[in-house]
Amino acid sequence: MASRRRGIGVGAVQRNQQIQAKFAAKGEELASEQLQRLSQQLEIFTQRLEEFARKHRDEIRKNSQFRRHFQEMCTQVGVDPLASSKGFWAEKLGVGDFYYELAVQIIEVCLSTNHINGGLMSVDELRNRLMKSRSRTRKEAISQDDVIRAVKKLKDLGHGFKLIELKCGRYLVQSVPRELSKDDTQIWQLAEENNGYVTAELIQQKFSWDTIRTSSALEKIVKDGMAWVDNQTSDNMTYYWFPALFFEQFNQISSSDSISGSTSSANY
Amino acid sequence: MPFQWPWQYDFPPFFTIQPNLSSREKQLEAWARLIIDYCQFHNIHSLDLNEVAKSEIFNNTRINRSLNEAGIRTVFDYLEEKEHIEWTDKTKKRCRIYWRRPEEWGELLYEWASSNGLLNTVITLTDIIEGEDTANESFAGLEKPILIRAIESLQSQRRAVLVELNNEIGGVKFL
Repeated sequence: MASRRRGIGVGAVQRNQQIQAKFAAKGEELASEQLQRLSQQLEIFTQRLEEFARKHRDEIRKNSQFRRHFQEMCTQVGVDPLASSKGFWAEKLGVGDFYYELAVQIIEVCLSTNHINGGLMSVDELRNRLMKSRSRTRKEAISQDDVIRAVKKLKDLGHGFKLIELKCGRYLVQSVPRELSKDDTQIWQLAEENNGYVTAELIQQKFSWDTIRTSSALEKIVKDGMAWVDNQTSDNMTYYWFPALFFEQFNQISSSDSISGSTSSANY
Repeated sequence: MPFQWPWQYDFPPFFTIQPNLSSREKQLEAWARLIIDYCQFHNIHSLDLNEVAKSEIFNNTRINRSLNEAGIRTVFDYLEEKEHIEWTDKTKKRCRIYWRRPEEWGELLYEWASSNGLLNTVITLTDIIEGEDTANESFAGLEKPILIRAIESLQSQRRAVLVELNNEIGGVKFL
């Protein structure tokens, strides 16, 4: 028939347009329905998140294991809740605040002890001091992990902080820039195991270093102010004592009972 | 409550004058602080080096360490430099010790005078040291020579003037 052969004509085009327009309209309708549903879901999701945050905010502050778990989760997901204290997580969960405050306290502790320990302190000691200063305001526990994370943040922000790894997963916090060589760190560890001091003989005995290496290492730690010289020993050897280590021990003793006289006579 | 010894007192190398200069500076500062605090605690205003060398300040029997004569001399040179002691003999064996430097006393005195409306009036030194009005002040019982030194330091700043009474220095006028 003639009309079939005239399929493509103005009328057909118009009809096509109409159909397309109807599809488009339907599409938009569908899309907006979906969007609405999606935004409803998002709203519910957000509410749930906020509930979660509210419920666990206290736990985050009190429970260091929970904090660690949370941090590990974030790492897996690729989120850094400490990156900005204004981020959603930080805001809702108060995580950012917690570490921010901790970092500020760490800086305070280090500033007030640097003149004695030359800017070197074990994570243990730092944690003890933080706990002591916090117990006046609140009783939250701080874990070693918390301290290490906060120091790492400080390092990233360029505050001159550095973590030095000793053996057995222990760390030193360095808050004053200094050149700590491997030899320095080894001697430090040796002193830690030897009541806070070393001698040339002890170094050579434990590490088998030659005389030159030993004496230049000892010269360096004295020059750095890391170690003090003691010439009154009963065995006529020079002892090299570390004020930082001694001060740590001293604080631990004095926090429990009175100073000087509480420990038994020492034989040096 | 007994005297609180600082942590350095039990630190063996504290009794060896340190070869490293910055460590030595910290060491001398700590020694100075220890001596001043000890004297203040025991109300000591003057020292004789021969006697003090044998005292517990410089001999810690618990850790078996002593500061030797040269070390003690170094510490007292430091105290002199910081104006906390003044030698009273030529051989530098006896000295007065100022728990506070004369300037510090001067400031406290001036503050007391100005907050009590006593500027521009003559006050006797005895009243300052032994008066009822000053019984609770930090400078109550201060030794006269130290009081005079304190006022002299204010005098050099034109904030006070020593006044003679009966032909000897007996009063002060805070300006």
